[in-house]
This record gives sequence, structure tokens and C-alpha cells, in this order.
Amino acid sequence: MQLFIDQLVNGVTLGSVYALVAIGLSLIFGIVRLINFAHGEFFMLGAYILFFTFVQAQVPYGLAIVLCVVGMGLVGAIFYKIVYEPVMDRKWTAQLVATLAASVILTNAAILLFGGTQRGAPTSLSNQVLILGTLRVSYQRLLAVAVTLVAFFLLDLFITRTRIGRAMRAVSQNREVAQVVGINIRWIALVTFTVSASLAGLAAALIAPLQTISPTMGALLTLKAFAIVVIGGLGKVTGAVYAAFLVGLAESLATVYVSSEYKDAVAFLLMIAFLIWRPRGLFGQKVGI
Amino acid sequence: MQTVQRGADSTIRRPFGFAPRSFGVWTVVGAVLVVVPQVIHDSFVLDVLILAGLYVGFALTYDLTVGYVGSLSLAHPAFFGIGAYVTGLLATKLHTPILVNLIAAAVLAALFAVAVGIPSFRLSEYSFAVGTLGFATVGQVVAQNWIDVTDGPLCVTNIPKPAIFVTIDSLPAFYYLMTAAAVLILLFMHRLIGSRIGRSFKAVRENEVMAESVGINPLKYKMLAFSLGAAGAAGIGTLYAYFIGIVCPTDLALTGTLTLLVILFIGGSGSLRGVVLGAILVTALPEFLRIGDQWRLLLYGVALLLIINFLPNGLEGLFHRRSRT
Amino acid sequence: MILQVERLAKSFFGLNVLNHISLSVAEHELLSIIGPNGSGKTTLFNVISGHLRPDGGTVTFAGADITGQPAHRIAVRGISRTFQDVRLFASLSVMDNLLLAVQQHQEDNLLGRFFQSRSVAAHERVAVERTREMLALINLEQYADFPAGQLSYGQRKLLQFGLAIIPDPSLLLLDEPAAAVNPTMINTIKQRIVDFNKQDKTVVLIEHNMDVVMDISHRILVMDYGEVIAEGPPEAIRHNPLVLEAYFGR
Repeated sequence: MQLFIDQLVNGVTLGSVYALVAIGLSLIFGIVRLINFAHGEFFMLGAYILFFTFVQAQVPYGLAIVLCVVGMGLVGAIFYKIVYEPVMDRKWTAQLVATLAASVILTNAAILLFGGTQRGAPTSLSNQVLILGTLRVSYQRLLAVAVTLVAFFLLDLFITRTRIGRAMRAVSQNREVAQVVGINIRWIALVTFTVSASLAGLAAALIAPLQTISPTMGALLTLKAFAIVVIGGLGKVTGAVYAAFLVGLAESLATVYVSSEYKDAVAFLLMIAFLIWRPRGLFGQKVGI
Repeated sequence: MQTVQRGADSTIRRPFGFAPRSFGVWTVVGAVLVVVPQVIHDSFVLDVLILAGLYVGFALTYDLTVGYVGSLSLAHPAFFGIGAYVTGLLATKLHTPILVNLIAAAVLAALFAVAVGIPSFRLSEYSFAVGTLGFATVGQVVAQNWIDVTDGPLCVTNIPKPAIFVTIDSLPAFYYLMTAAAVLILLFMHRLIGSRIGRSFKAVRENEVMAESVGINPLKYKMLAFSLGAAGAAGIGTLYAYFIGIVCPTDLALTGTLTLLVILFIGGSGSLRGVVLGAILVTALPEFLRIGDQWRLLLYGVALLLIINFLPNGLEGLFHRRSRT
Repeated sequence: MILQVERLAKSFFGLNVLNHISLSVAEHELLSIIGPNGSGKTTLFNVISGHLRPDGGTVTFAGADITGQPAHRIAVRGISRTFQDVRLFASLSVMDNLLLAVQQHQEDNLLGRFFQSRSVAAHERVAVERTREMLALINLEQYADFPAGQLSYGQRKLLQFGLAIIPDPSLLLLDEPAAAVNPTMINTIKQRIVDFNKQDKTVVLIEHNMDVVMDISHRILVMDYGEVIAEGPPEAIRHNPLVLEAYFGR
């Protein structure tokens, strides 16, 4: 029983990280109709920003988180300019391949620049544990979940209450009409990339202290994020959140009750199952996008 | 005066019919291919040529799905891996001959292609990409973790050399085997694309709804291309297993797709000649320039990004431009 | 009755585009369907040709129930259609476009096709023959090797028409064949439609051009809000108050 509860907690933490990452991917797909292969690299770069600011430059953790978010926002904007904008009028397959190329460039540049050895960035909270009866949770995990919830709340406000947020929703529903009513698609795409990368940066800042940092840490995450977005329903951000928690929990439970080696396959098996039995995902429309 | 834009292909080819003029060219090319190992004895060069032949087959079979029916598959390395592992395991555990292993690998790959392809194609074009990606990832995880069967990171080792009338265990012998395989695949694709099936492929790629309207079942043709491509990739995987002698989970890595995409984009997807040239170029060049793994991948990435932006039709696009002036 | 549609229903996002509509088409007749924009005419075509699945109701063609069957199966049964936005295989040659329209109606034997068996080769010769005839009929002979996307709008409309009739369908569905076309071309198209109908074929048109409709139709059906609100010979429809209200009285 104890094990079960532990895994539930792990699952929720994992789910919130996945959610932050998957939301970014879902936003980009929903608004820009792009499958961004380099998304996991946003996470990876965020983790390295954390390492260099928090560990090497000894910047206080709170400030380091902010730097991660802002820094990644910048990276997102640059990425938009260099990788996406040149191909934004081309077929989606060309765009996907462009992001794949970017992903490889970022990963291998990271290996060459930062070295392949794994780094660590533990915070004071990583090892402090909250004890509630038989429940033992690291404060860092609690922080991750708490900050994630705040981030969701703020993001929701942004999307529903601001003009830009409304414009983003308009574009995701009907690009041509949005252009006709005067919405600047390029600007919206830029904002979307910035927000998406910042979310990934935030996720990295929260979770990197709990694991090791390496140039290839983003690869598997990208793939899982895709699976999550499909499970949630292509283009549906709320769906991605639910799917993220579903996958997080499933993975944690599978680690213990099935086998820890195959846990990474869980997300994809779930995705394949959905593709077979409910292709539109949890919240997707019946007609394919 | 209205300029006539040619280049739109029409009508199908007679089987194995080649124009008289190109027959001469083919004879010369064939002669060169046959003579190479007699003249070149440098094992490094032969190694590279064998690798190039491997990638020619790998890329051509990939282009069946990507170039001819227009579906972006990310699972090709997985089918390659299935071929390599099936052969490696059958050869080491059951000592079955190469032909049996080849067929087993190809059939298994085709079955997986059907199992993965049908649900993936159903929802939308995007879901096919992601579905094949999921399959490739699961494949990698399984290869890595199914220790009982695949030995995981320890790899399947000591794969015996194959025997087709004679044992193939020298570089020249493997060169002939790989070249023969590449040529066979090339001829097969040439025939396929020049037939009514090829015409239907193009229709599906061009406008799926319209294809349906004229009676073509898009799913059937997509699955045909996809599973033939998968079987081909498995065949290449088989030859690879015999050549290298070891099969590891890293052979299934998704970065394999990157190399394939670079080849397709450089050479020109949808063109046999372009893909063949692209494969040879992309494989041989980094080898001869002795570029390390990370730098090579970095270069591929940069090259791909540049090509997508400046040369979307690859070398083949250059060919067409020249012939029009 | 070559085509029978019974209580066909289709809604999109809560909007009833087809409202349990029923109608039938007699063999060899030339039927026009008219009605204001948004009355569901194209959706009706889409359901009949299999491009859309209905939410309810049945479609019967030549005695067989074809409801919900995929478009490619219905096409091979003998129903051809054209689209409002002229659809073609743009980067394939005009010749290839027409050959594609024929080949599925001849055979679909994969092995035979790969090895170019004798029967497939024979079919191909016949197909090329028919294609050349059709090219002559629609005046596109010198454009045989042109990519279809390079034709002018009027030529593309003719090609689309050619694609629809070359497989010799028993039922032809034409979606606004006279739209956005110059008067000379309209006459050509009108003539081709009438000629085709005279060969014992059934034709159903969606059209807004009243001159064309009144001129060639045997019978006219008027749709509004996903239902049939009037039907009859051209003269009767011309003076029908419901029709006038539907078109002008909003």
C-alpha cells in the first residue's frame, strides 16, 4: 500500500512535469500546426541554464528559475526566427523536418560544447523530505507540483483574458479567418514559440534538481510529449494536461507493478492503444485535423 | 509564345524496357560496378562502398513511403532493426540459411507495418508521423530491455557469415552481395513506379480525395508502399547483420531517420536517380572526410536545414532546372 | 429508380445540414437540384458519393444499399462526380489524369499490374485509346502532356468533366458545372451534358445558372434547409411561390 501511495505521488509529480512540457508542444501544434521535434531540446537547454546559473554562478534558486524561464523564452523567439519562419509557408512535413534538423543540431552542439558527462543540480529542497504519516515526499517535488499549478492558472488567464491570448485561440481555430480580421500570424507564432519554450524552461528548472542533466535528456521527453499530445487529442491543450497526468501515473505504477525497464514504453503503448480504439484522443474532435 | 513545361510524366513503361541509348550507359555502369573490387583493394574504400550500397537500398525503400505516396514515416530504422535482429537471432540460435532469415525478416517487418500503419493512417496525416514514431520508440525500448532475447546493450554477437553457393566472408564478396541487393531494389522500384501501381501511388500522393473519387483506395496503396518499404528495410537489415556481425539496440536509433531525410532532401525525394546519388554522397563523404559522430550529425542537421530552405528539391531539382534551359 | 435517398440526415456541430431528406432519381433522367447557398446540396452529393457518412438514412443505387460505403467503392460501382472547387491531380499530366480515371474501372490486380500481364497491358491500350478520344472531345489534345494544374480555369473544368465521364458511369453528379465560366464554354458544357444524357445515362446537376437549368432539365428539385421544398418540370418550378420565397424572400 505504501508503495502504491509513493508511486501515486511520483506519478503526480511526473505528470505535472509532462504537463508543462506537453502544453508547450500542444500550443505549438494547435496554433501553428507544427510538430516540433526540438521541443525536448528546449527542456534540455533550460536544464543547462539552471546548471550554469544555479550551480556554477551560485545564483539563488528563485532567481535561477526566473532566468531559466526568461532565457528559454529568448531561445524560443530565436528558434522561431531561424528555424520556423523561413519555412512557415511550406508543407507541414518540411517544417517537421526543419525542427528535426534543429533538434539534432542542438543536441550535438550541446554534446560538443558542454561535454557528454552528466551533471547534477540539486537544490536545498531536493533532499529535504516532508513526512506525513507514512508518506515521504521530497520538498522539491512538492514545489514542482505547486509551481506547475500556478503556471497553469496564469497560462489560462493569459489565454482567456488577454488580447493576445484571444488572438492565439482564434488562429488555432481558423488561420485564414484570423488573418482576414487582421491578426498578425507571424507575431502570434512568435509569441507561441516563446511561451512554449518558457514552459519547457520552467519544467526543467523544477525537475532538473531531481535528476541528472545531460545533452540527450530531451530526446525521450520529446517523444513522450508527442504521445501525450496524441492521447489528449491533437490540438487540445486541456487534453494534453489530462493525458500528461495519465501517462505520469501509468509510468510510475508500471515501474513498480510491471517492470522498470519498460516504463519508457508505456506512453507509446498508450498512444498506440488510443490510435486503435479512440483515434481522436481524450478530447479531440471526431473529424481528424 | 507559350512555354511548354514538360517534366510531367505520363503513360507507363513496358516491363524491363529501357531506351536503346540508355542501354549503353547501363552496360558501362554495370561493368564499372563489377570491376571495382578487382581494381580497388583498399579495405577502407570497399567498406565505404558497401555502406553506400546499404544506404542506397535503405533510402530507396524509405522513399517508397515518403516520396511516392507522400506519407512521412519515422519508423524505417525500426524495420531495419527488425530485419537485423531477426536475422542475427535466427543465424546464431537456429543456424538457418540466409534466404530463410531474409524472408522471415521481411515478412515480420511487413506484418508490423500493417499493424502499425492501419491505425496510424486513420486519423490524419499527422497521426501517421507520430504513430510511426511511437512504434520506432517502442522498438528501441524493447531492443534495449528484452534482455532474454536480444541481450540488450550487450548486443547479438558472433553472427556467422552467410553462404550463397559460397561463403561470403571477404570484403569483395560482401561488396558484390550489397551491390546486387541495391541493384535489385532499384530495378524493383523502377518496375513498380512505372506500372499502374506507380500511377496510383502518385495519385494518392497528389490528391487523396480525388484519388478516392476515381476509385483508388488510398489506404490500400499507402499500406502497400509502407509494407513493401518495411520489408525492404528488413532485407537491408539482414545484410547489415551479416556484414557487421553484431546487432545492437543503437542500430535502431531514431537518428537513422535523420540520415534518411538528409539523403532524400539532398538527392530529391521521388526520383530514383536522385535518391541513389544522394545516398552515395551522404554516406561516402563523411567517411572520406573522417568526420566524428557528433560533428557528422551536427553537419547533417545544418545541411538539412540549409537544403530545406534553399534547395527544396535537392540535386534532382538542379537537374530539372538545367534541362529546361 | 436508379437512385433512392431516404431520410438522409447529416449535421455539423449542431447544424442540421441534411434534414431527413428523401428523393429519387429516375433512370435516364436529367435532374437539376437548385436552392440557396447553404441548403445542403453539396453535402447531399458528398453523402451519395461516399465522401461523407450520413448520421442517418439510406442511399440506394441500382437496387443496392450504398449508405456509408467509402468513396472509392462507390466510384467503381458507376457513380461519378465533379467538385465545386475543381479537383484534379495538378502536377500529373492531363493524360495521366484521364488514365487514372479509367484504370480502376478496368481492374485492380496488383500482381498483374506489377508484371504488366497480358490482360493489364490490353487494358492499358484500351485506356489510352479512350483517353485520346476524350481528349478530342474536350479539345485538350495538344495539352496531353501538360501538368493539369497549368491549364486555364475553363480547361480544368472541361478536364474535370472528362474525368467524370470517361469511366462511363451510369450516374453522373455534376456540382455547378457552369459556374465561373464564359458563355461560350457554358454552351459547350451544356451540349456535352445533354449528349451524355442522351446515351442513356442519368445526370444530376447542382446549378445556380437558371438559364442552363431551365434549358436542359427534365425535372427540377428545389432544396432549402436540408429538405426538398418543391419539385417538378421546369415550367412548374419557374412559377412556384415557395421557390421564389426561398431565393428572394429572406
